[in-house]
Amino acid sequence: MSSPFSEMLASLIRQRGVLGSMVVSESDGIIIDSNLQIGVRGQAVAALAASLFRKARLSARAAGLGEAAFLQLEAPNGRVCAAGRDDLVLVTVAESRANVGLIRVEMLKAMGALTL
Amino acid sequence: MSTPGSDDIRRWSEELARDPSSFVFLQLGEALRRRGQSDLALKVALRGLERHSHNADAHDLLARIAADRKELERAFDEWDMVMRLQPGHPGALKGMGFVRFQERRFEEAERYLAAASEADPTDGRIKFALAMVREELATRDSAVGTRHPAGETEGIVPTPAAPAAEPPVGAAAAAAEPAPSAESRAPSPGFSDARTLFHDVVSHGQSAMLLDANGFVLAGSYTDRQGADLSEEIGANLSGVSDEANRAVRHLQLGDWSSIVFETDAATVAMTPLPGGGLALVAADRATPQGFVRRLLERVGERARKWAEGQP
Repeated sequence: MSSPFSEMLASLIRQRGVLGSMVVSESDGIIIDSNLQIGVRGQAVAALAASLFRKARLSARAAGLGEAAFLQLEAPNGRVCAAGRDDLVLVTVAESRANVGLIRVEMLKAMGALTL
Repeated sequence: MSTPGSDDIRRWSEELARDPSSFVFLQLGEALRRRGQSDLALKVALRGLERHSHNADAHDLLARIAADRKELERAFDEWDMVMRLQPGHPGALKGMGFVRFQERRFEEAERYLAAASEADPTDGRIKFALAMVREELATRDSAVGTRHPAGETEGIVPTPAAPAAEPPVGAAAAAAEPAPSAESRAPSPGFSDARTLFHDVVSHGQSAMLLDANGFVLAGSYTDRQGADLSEEIGANLSGVSDEANRAVRHLQLGDWSSIVFETDAATVAMTPLPGGGLALVAADRATPQGFVRRLLERVGERARKWAEGQP
């Protein structure tokens, strides 16, 4: 079954090193749609990434820096990228070798389609 | 220090299963602690202590785990036991100094840290922590009436050894005490240096700060376009992001996070963790290229580490 986000998610997963991408509700961390490689713990990634993005967004706002649009977390075993708007967060989880610049551009481009 | 990987943990677990009396529980417990798996680390340490109840390092491990779990009294008691078994143990002295610092018992903290520094003069973090305690003691009287009210700081929980943190003493521990604002502190050359620590690294439209584990500013500053100093607000608000990041990488088993970058309407903010739970943070206006912000973060992180270690 396809959703309004299926095509966008499929284009993201085709990027080198991307293990999965999903559209998540920021407020509760529930997956709305996803495209994941086997073995990716989608629910956990979704909940944690949404929570991280929410924290960054609220912190940035409280600090007077405006709205957070894109976030990237880097760790030895992978990266988590998140871009959000209107309670929806587009999350991508990728290997360390992934080209984060490309992923960022694709995610920001996809943000335009991120409305329910 | 490199972080042991899953293979190491598996190997140590297997070795311990084969030989429950093996001392490998020390490495295994510490590795689990550094990965933030404090429940497991606690089990390993307690089982090890059942067989090696007079081993100072085993009690030291249990103390570190207790400190991670914010069980400060238990941590202190364990370090006290370490001192009984091995008088002058630098790790125990550091730890006890840390606990007393968290309890705002600065005189005692100074005594322990001074002894730790004597026991291990090469440890820059002890020196730094000691300097911070002494500065706190020196300025405490003069700052009375201008510091944050006590109630304002209640509930601030020390985070001595968040996942993968170094032993719970050092820059973060030293500065975990809510620092008075810049204006309220007695001026000192060291403090002035701290404010300008990154001045030769950042340029117009960029700011850099060093935060302690509680989000208090240790060095650097953040000023907006109008020149207003927003360091405290930025530090307090953004440091919470790192807690969330710790949680995420722990659950997703990504290893210790090395950087977070986020873009807002006004700025690109990048942060990197420092030993002891501190944070180096860079903010640059949106015109600054992303790649440059990352380079800037590396340089600021390096400078912050050196400064925290007491190196010029």
